This record gives sequence, C-alpha cells and structure tokens, in this order.
Amino acid sequence: MTLLNPRVAKVLGFATLGSLVVLALFGLWLAPPDAVQSDAQRLMYLHVPSAWIAYLAFGVTALSSALYLWRRTRSPVWDRLAGASAELGVLFTGMTLLMGSLWGRPVWGVWWAWDARLVTTAVLFFLYVGYLALRRVPAPIDARAKRCAIAALIAFVDVPIVHFSVDWWRTLHQQATVFTPSLNAHIHGVMAFTLWWGVLAFTLLYIFLLDKRYRLETLEEDLDAKELAQAIEERVAGAGTTAPPEQVEVGPGR
Amino acid sequence: MKFAGYVIGGYSVAGAPFLLYWLRLNARIRHAERLDRDA
Repeated sequence: MTLLNPRVAKVLGFATLGSLVVLALFGLWLAPPDAVQSDAQRLMYLHVPSAWIAYLAFGVTALSSALYLWRRTRSPVWDRLAGASAELGVLFTGMTLLMGSLWGRPVWGVWWAWDARLVTTAVLFFLYVGYLALRRVPAPIDARAKRCAIAALIAFVDVPIVHFSVDWWRTLHQQATVFTPSLNAHIHGVMAFTLWWGVLAFTLLYIFLLDKRYRLETLEEDLDAKELAQAIEERVAGAGTTAPPEQVEVGPGR
Repeated sequence: MKFAGYVIGGYSVAGAPFLLYWLRLNARIRHAERLDRDA
C-alpha cells in the first residue's frame, strides 16, 4: 500500500522538517547577501531547488509511464507512481513560478516577462495540470493508465526545452549557474552549500509527500474497485427480481 | 538588510502551499481509510 516502511516514513518526515529548518536558517541568515541583488537573491535558494525537483518529479512520471507501457514491466504500481509524482511536479513547478515572480519584481522590475524560460515553464505547469485532469476522466483502469502514460511521455518533451531555453533563445532569465556547459559552477562557499542543502531538503520533501500521495492513490483505486463490484452485485441481484423494462417500438415515424 | 521583510514573506509564501497540501493529503488519506473500513 505504501512505498516506504511506516517507520522509515516517520524518520523521513522528521529529517525533512529538520532539513527545511536548516535551509531557512542558511537561506535567510547565514548565507551572505548577494553583491548585486542583495537579499532578494535569497529567494533563489527556494526557486532553483524547486525547479530541479519538478524536473525530477516529471522524470519519475515519464519513467513510470514508460514502464507501464512496456508489457514486460506493466503493473498498476507504475501508473499510481506516475500520477502521484505528476501532482507533486505540478506543486513544485507552481512554487518555481511563484518564487521566480517574487524575485523578478525587485530585480527585473516586473512580476512576469514573456521570456522563453518563463513561458516554457508555464507551459510545463499547464501540460501536467492537463495530465492530472486526464487522470480524472472516468474509464476502465487499464485504458486510463495507458492514455495517461502516453500523455505523460508527450508532456515530458517540454522538460529539456525548459532547461535549454536559456541557451537556445536570447532570454531575460539568466543562463545556468551550476550546470553550465563546462560544468564550472558560478556559485561558491556558503551560497553554494545553501543551494545544495535546498536541493537535499526539497528531495526529502518530495520523497516524503510521494509516499503519502501514493498511499492515497492506492486507497482510492481500491475503493473504486469495491464500489464497482458492489454496483455489479446489486445490478445482478436486481435483475433476478424485477420485471424486464417495457419494450418500445421505434419506427421510421418517431 | 534590503528586501529582508520581503524575502521572509517570500519564504512564508513558499511554505504555506506545502503545509496546506500536506494537511489536505492527510485528511484525504484518513477519509479514504474510513470509507475503506466501512465498505
């Protein structure tokens, strides 16, 4: 029913909480202010890790979807994992957009710009909102899982577009700071530590929430199956006791 | 500290949706567990 052992999940919950507190301490206080952006740069310790974890979440959704589509590995586990991870990906992408907007106001002077990185990220957000809506369309479990797996793989095409948008187009958004083409990071010392700590804290948060979301997905699927079985049972029992419906002739004149 | 209050507000804005999501998730799990037991 769950991804993690309950004891491991409990320890993970406390580790997540602790790491988020340490992130807040470093992000708000211990890391020095940026020479150019001053304290506004502190929002980057949330913006960048949430963007990376959103990539991770959508990567897990794409991989799980591919494993579901491949007959040898087909299992409802992959479908549930894909759905749970996509919801978290949407949450982290929303956070990325929100923190980016809050940072953009003091640094760029605007809340939003029609910039390639921003627009492709917004498209990513809405693609996966659509994916989550598709999961709610009533259908037999296997048919729903297959169509959602295909949609997830199509939506994932936008992830590399988002990542490389700053290299492919002339953007207001800055180019990569850590994963530069030469892998020579432009961030050092306490600032680099805080950024990486943010990645760790958000990864723990993602795993913690994924475990819970997966459990909910399993419970809801079981309930749907039970409700369906009960409805069929009632229909079968009803068919034996009630009279057949009146026959209505349908002719060309009607 | 320039923008200090603004940044602290930003951190709170970041924390709130995650907290609400976690609370809602727990409530939905409890509700589903109850229905599962009753079914």
